[in-house]
Amino acid sequence: MIDSKISRRYARALMSLGQEEGQYAEYGQNLQAFTDLCSANDEFFRVISNQVFAIDDRKKIIEAVLEKSSFSDMVKNFLRLLLDKNRIGAIKEITDHYARLTDEISNIIRAKVITAKPLKGDAEKRLIQALKALTSKEVEIKVSEDASIMGGLIVKAGDLVLDGSVKIQLEGLRESLKRGEYN
Amino acid sequence: MIFFNRQNRSRVSALVCALIVFFFVCGLAYGSGGEDPAGDPSGHGSAVVTGGDAHGEGGHGAHDSGKKMQDLIYRVINFSLLVIILFFVVRKTPIKDFFSNRINEIKNNFEELNKEKELAEQRYQELEQKLKDFEASRQEILDQYKAEGVAEKEKIISEAEQRAKQILEQAELTIQREIKAAGDELKQEVLDNAAKQAQEILTKEMQESDQDHLVDEFIKSVEKLH
Repeated sequence: MIDSKISRRYARALMSLGQEEGQYAEYGQNLQAFTDLCSANDEFFRVISNQVFAIDDRKKIIEAVLEKSSFSDMVKNFLRLLLDKNRIGAIKEITDHYARLTDEISNIIRAKVITAKPLKGDAEKRLIQALKALTSKEVEIKVSEDASIMGGLIVKAGDLVLDGSVKIQLEGLRESLKRGEYN
Repeated sequence: MIFFNRQNRSRVSALVCALIVFFFVCGLAYGSGGEDPAGDPSGHGSAVVTGGDAHGEGGHGAHDSGKKMQDLIYRVINFSLLVIILFFVVRKTPIKDFFSNRINEIKNNFEELNKEKELAEQRYQELEQKLKDFEASRQEILDQYKAEGVAEKEKIISEAEQRAKQILEQAELTIQREIKAAGDELKQEVLDNAAKQAQEILTKEMQESDQDHLVDEFIKSVEKLH
């Protein structure tokens, strides 16, 4: 909880600077790229976030990475600040909060779509339009497949969950029969 | 000392005189009795007179009469001495007081015994009354205990019946609950099996067209939400 609050605070601080300079989208992309780098290089992330190692050594390592990156100076300084404050370990949460802030500012909602089989034709486009009409926001979807839902779709967009899977319908039918609604 | 007062002396004198006269008269009668042998059937006088008649000795008649008088006088003196001795002895001893006291004592005892008898009778009446009361109380207690016993018995029987009824109701309820639980369990098992079978069939039989149809229905339902 404390880490979440601190992460949100750091994300808001960077977002306010990005809004002032009109580069909050670029900052978001830079943060996402660094987070992806950390996720892809777990050893690198563990070294820079572990206080057992000397701060100077960790700075040298992160400087070496930043020199080779094309990140904006603001993001580089932000990452250096996180290292100095020993908050670099929360970079993933900060990036997520920053993405949410970016989406709020850009009026974008990200939806996760789970389907039993790949969507065909214009189904994805129609779904985006339907969700856009429902949420009154720009919708970006990320489709994943899960055969355990047997058929249909599940859409998760923030707090909104729309479950049209065969699995949930079958469970609903089972519960109805259990309650004796079909006696 | 009481013998020296005047009244007593006169009484003694009168008594002695009376005795002398009495014995004199008796002596005369005794003496005259010898002249009539058929008139006195008594032993002694008759024997003397009869003896005189049998012997037929007229000279001896006067001599026998003198002896008889002498004998009479001795007897009178003897008797008088006896009376006098008795008189003094009786006067000397408090026999009169003794008898008087004895009478009073007996009277008092009698009165006390009467009182005790009355008290005893009264006590007897009281005890008898108490016995009657006790008997009545005993009967009352017995009746009360019997009534309580009957009431307790009825209460126990009533409670037992109530308890038995509750046990039966509880047993009935338990049976119904067990039947329902068994039914629910059976239904659950059937539903689980049906769901499992349905899942297997749907997984096996689900076609591309079915998925497209489901996606289409889902999108339409989302569009309807708007």
